[in-house]
Amino acid sequence: MKAEAKVGLLFLGSLILVVGFAYVMGIITPFSNNKSLNVRYNYAGGLEEGSPVRVMGIKVGKVRRIEFEPGFKTKNDEEVKLRVEIDVEKKAWASIRKDSKFFINLAGVIGEKFLEISPGSTNAEEFSSGDSVRGEDPPRIDQLISQSYGLAGKIIELVNKNEGSISNVIAQLDKLTTNFNKTLILLDKTSKNKDMARLLDNAIKISDDVAYLTGNLRSKKAEDTYALVQKLLFRLEPLDGPAIKKFFQEEGVKAKISF
Amino acid sequence: MFEHFVSFTEMTTHAIFSAFRPPVRIKESFQQLYFVANQSLIIIVFCVCFAAMVTILESSFHMRLVVQNDSMVPGFAAMLILRELGAVVTALLLTSRVGAGIAAEVGLMQTTEQIDALKMLGIDPVQYLVLPRLFACIFGGMILTIVADLVCIYSAMLVSDMYLGFSPAMFISGMRRFVHFKDLIFSVIKGASFGVVIPLVSCHFGFRCKSGAEGVGLATTNSVVTSSIVIIIIDFVLSYLFTHF
Repeated sequence: MKAEAKVGLLFLGSLILVVGFAYVMGIITPFSNNKSLNVRYNYAGGLEEGSPVRVMGIKVGKVRRIEFEPGFKTKNDEEVKLRVEIDVEKKAWASIRKDSKFFINLAGVIGEKFLEISPGSTNAEEFSSGDSVRGEDPPRIDQLISQSYGLAGKIIELVNKNEGSISNVIAQLDKLTTNFNKTLILLDKTSKNKDMARLLDNAIKISDDVAYLTGNLRSKKAEDTYALVQKLLFRLEPLDGPAIKKFFQEEGVKAKISF
Repeated sequence: MFEHFVSFTEMTTHAIFSAFRPPVRIKESFQQLYFVANQSLIIIVFCVCFAAMVTILESSFHMRLVVQNDSMVPGFAAMLILRELGAVVTALLLTSRVGAGIAAEVGLMQTTEQIDALKMLGIDPVQYLVLPRLFACIFGGMILTIVADLVCIYSAMLVSDMYLGFSPAMFISGMRRFVHFKDLIFSVIKGASFGVVIPLVSCHFGFRCKSGAEGVGLATTNSVVTSSIVIIIIDFVLSYLFTHF
């Protein structure tokens, strides 16, 4: 074989290796069965091109492209300036519905960012490839820290301004606690006193009796009695003096009734 | 030192200009490419395999030592192999094999006045000797870097499968996290840049070779040492530039 042919073979071999590497790295996907979605964010929280896309924790694709689209507005007239184009394998496509949520999460020891899609309900419609959807912006830790700093500053300022009154309040609280403690000690002592103990016992008994009584008053029997008394009163109401007298005479009761 | 620099610049400029002038020596170029790429392939593959194995084992050892976890070793090792090891080890091996050969060959031609004979025949020695070697080393460097990179990754994958407990799928998944296709392109650019250095430096020392066996030996030694130093410096500059992409 000629030297040129051998060189050509080596060149071809290296070309095949490059193509193989590109295939392994996912640059060339000749047998791709992916579908794409455009997820809109205002803050991507460190998501990068090539970051994994997961559905229910399983990797099903990756972020293909991240682009700035300053003028874009959603149907609700909300300005969303970032377009994240993602590839999702067909096998997971049916799990992603119009009510799915698109979060940006953190995983691994080095805090790798990934796009997590929560599965939607089966009642909701499926997406078509290339559809746009609004993602859930991740919380901005920097803003949170800055707000915390602001809050801490305000608290310090408040304390500095009202130093006298705050220390007064603290002193009052201290006094109150001391007094409360004293009261508790007194109560403890009182409960150990014999007369007091008897008094308390009696109070408990009275309370038990009252509870029993009120319990009986609420019983079915008591309710029937109330009903009977009510009926009786209802019947007695229209009766006048002579009628009552007659009734008692008939019953053999002597009574002097005057009106 | 300054004299060397001036003479080297002259030769390089001459080579660049003569590249656009006929005759184009395709046959010689392919013969040189065969010498540079095909005949160096076995030794380079053999050496980079071991270099990759050492890299991944050492990375794992150090990661376990420092962070008690070597889950990211495939990614780191693959990145190191692609961005650094594959290109540099290949270039240093090419320097010692091809660079030394070119320096000795051109040096001997100089001492035996063959270069003067070429001039007498009206043949430009730079165009006749330097250009085919330059072409061969640039393309050979690129091809060998690609092969070395991917053989390195493959051997690292094998070692991590056998000794570190990472299956090939885990290795590729870890690699995908850190490595991008552009890393291979950077590596190939490095390979081509090193390929420019080796023939130019070797031919430069060959043309300035003094008579006698001692002169040829000195020219060879100087060419290998200088090429290696220039390769390391260019590697630093390119690595710094590539960190911006």
